[in-house]
Amino acid sequence: MSNFKDAQNKAHPNKTNTLMSALIVVLVLNVSLQIWLLYTGLNNALGKNKDVALPAFIASLVLFLIGFFWLYFLPMGYRNKNNK
Amino acid sequence: MSDQANEPHWKRDFPIQRTEATKVSRRDFARFLCLVSGGLATGSAYVAVKANFFPQEEVKGEHFVCKAAGVPLGGTRSFVIEGSSIPYILIHLEDGSWRAYEQKCTHLSCAVYYKPGSGQIVCPCHEGFFDAMTGEVLAGPPPRPLPALEVVMRGEDVYVRAGSEGLANNETHV
Repeated sequence: MSNFKDAQNKAHPNKTNTLMSALIVVLVLNVSLQIWLLYTGLNNALGKNKDVALPAFIASLVLFLIGFFWLYFLPMGYRNKNNK
Repeated sequence: MSDQANEPHWKRDFPIQRTEATKVSRRDFARFLCLVSGGLATGSAYVAVKANFFPQEEVKGEHFVCKAAGVPLGGTRSFVIEGSSIPYILIHLEDGSWRAYEQKCTHLSCAVYYKPGSGQIVCPCHEGFFDAMTGEVLAGPPPRPLPALEVVMRGEDVYVRAGSEGLANNETHV
């Protein structure tokens, strides 16, 4: 029985390249959202409106965890080793 | 592939196969993005902790600034409250009213100044403009209004105290 990683390693390089690009696009979107959350949390905290800071942090943490576990799909490039 | 051990270092560092070259750089970039994401989450955590557990201390009590006669109409005076390093600016507006604001621009903390006759406080660094009556932003990059202090007149003496919510920039005579 093969698992996800075995199947990914045997896949055509075009597929893994496309996957890698999609993975990076999702991570860039995550980082953009986090930048916006940090800006709005900081701006409101400096303007004496500290209620925004905690929800902004929780949302940012969720986005980071999504991105972190998203890396599971990162192709590791072991294809050549398996074909030796 | 059997001569991998004998292959010179430069061949290993610069693989000819395109798939190997592209895969390495994009993989590292994805990991780097994850690191940046972690850094931003840490930054948000710092802001949340600082805002909720270490808030900026309010100005306590009333503080004497100067005599009313010392500041002409349209004039200003810079002052600092003891125990704090924040510079403030006291403005005697043309209509006779008094205003006191922090002198640090809310954009990047440049020193702002009052432009006599215009009713505007100007930040020269990036052309930011604030309304002298309320401290609200009129134009430019500043994101927040200037923090204000309440001005209290006791006879000829000008005092300042922390501005209360909903009473922004109103002066009181005692």
